[in-house]
Amino acid sequence: MDSILIAMILALLIPIYEAWQDDDIWQKMLAFASIATKTSIMMLVISVLRDDWSIGVVAVITLSVGEAGLMLLAHLIKRLNEA
Amino acid sequence: MIDNYVYVIVALLPLSALMLVTQTNPYNALVIRAILGAVAALVYSVLGGADVALTEALVGTMLAVTLYVIAVRSSLVMRLGILAQKPDLTEDYITEFIASLRKVIKKHHLRLELVEYPDRDSLKQALLNREIHGICDRSGTSNIDNNPVYQTTIRVHRLFEILQKEFTYPDLKISYITPPNSEDKH
Repeated sequence: MDSILIAMILALLIPIYEAWQDDDIWQKMLAFASIATKTSIMMLVISVLRDDWSIGVVAVITLSVGEAGLMLLAHLIKRLNEA
Repeated sequence: MIDNYVYVIVALLPLSALMLVTQTNPYNALVIRAILGAVAALVYSVLGGADVALTEALVGTMLAVTLYVIAVRSSLVMRLGILAQKPDLTEDYITEFIASLRKVIKKHHLRLELVEYPDRDSLKQALLNREIHGICDRSGTSNIDNNPVYQTTIRVHRLFEILQKEFTYPDLKISYITPPNSEDKH
């Protein structure tokens, strides 16, 4: 089962590289959306692997909080470019 | 026993932290800070700290970043006072001037906010009261091509240095004044 997680870590490196090399703020936001979702899914997989419910609950909360934070941040940055 | 993938996941944390400290634009740095928060939440939960991971997700990726964006947005701003434009008098020249000024201060990650005043006296008074960082006013036309000359007065010395060094616009005069030190306002 470790190979699944190693593949997920490799997939996580793609948006991290994108966030590092692209200077456009919306590309960075896109990378952030991708990373926030991927890390939460990885936490869910680990919670199933270890049969640990407390990590699973945290993963679900992180998933929704990541999306909420993304929406708040996107609204603020959008209004920044308008003014 | 520690699984092998744990080492790889933990190595992501210094990687994203290095990405964060190499950013120069404050807004880009805040988005990377949110990414660092997501990675940190993953690391903490893998190592077994579910409560720490939950706190990092709530505070690190949402609350702190949102509040810091608001703080940076309201502090990295240059407030420029101008005279209120008459609606029938559409002047292309001032919009051109504002656009090129915006381009210069954007290099320093500053935002330009225009504050309109009805007449010259209230414009000057607002500068002396430290309500705005600078004023821009047309002071006649140049002799060569009849374009209006803009007299710009700045009260923040660092802004004055930046504009004097980098802002090259035809028929522009920039001057610096120190308003009287009546109260500590910035």
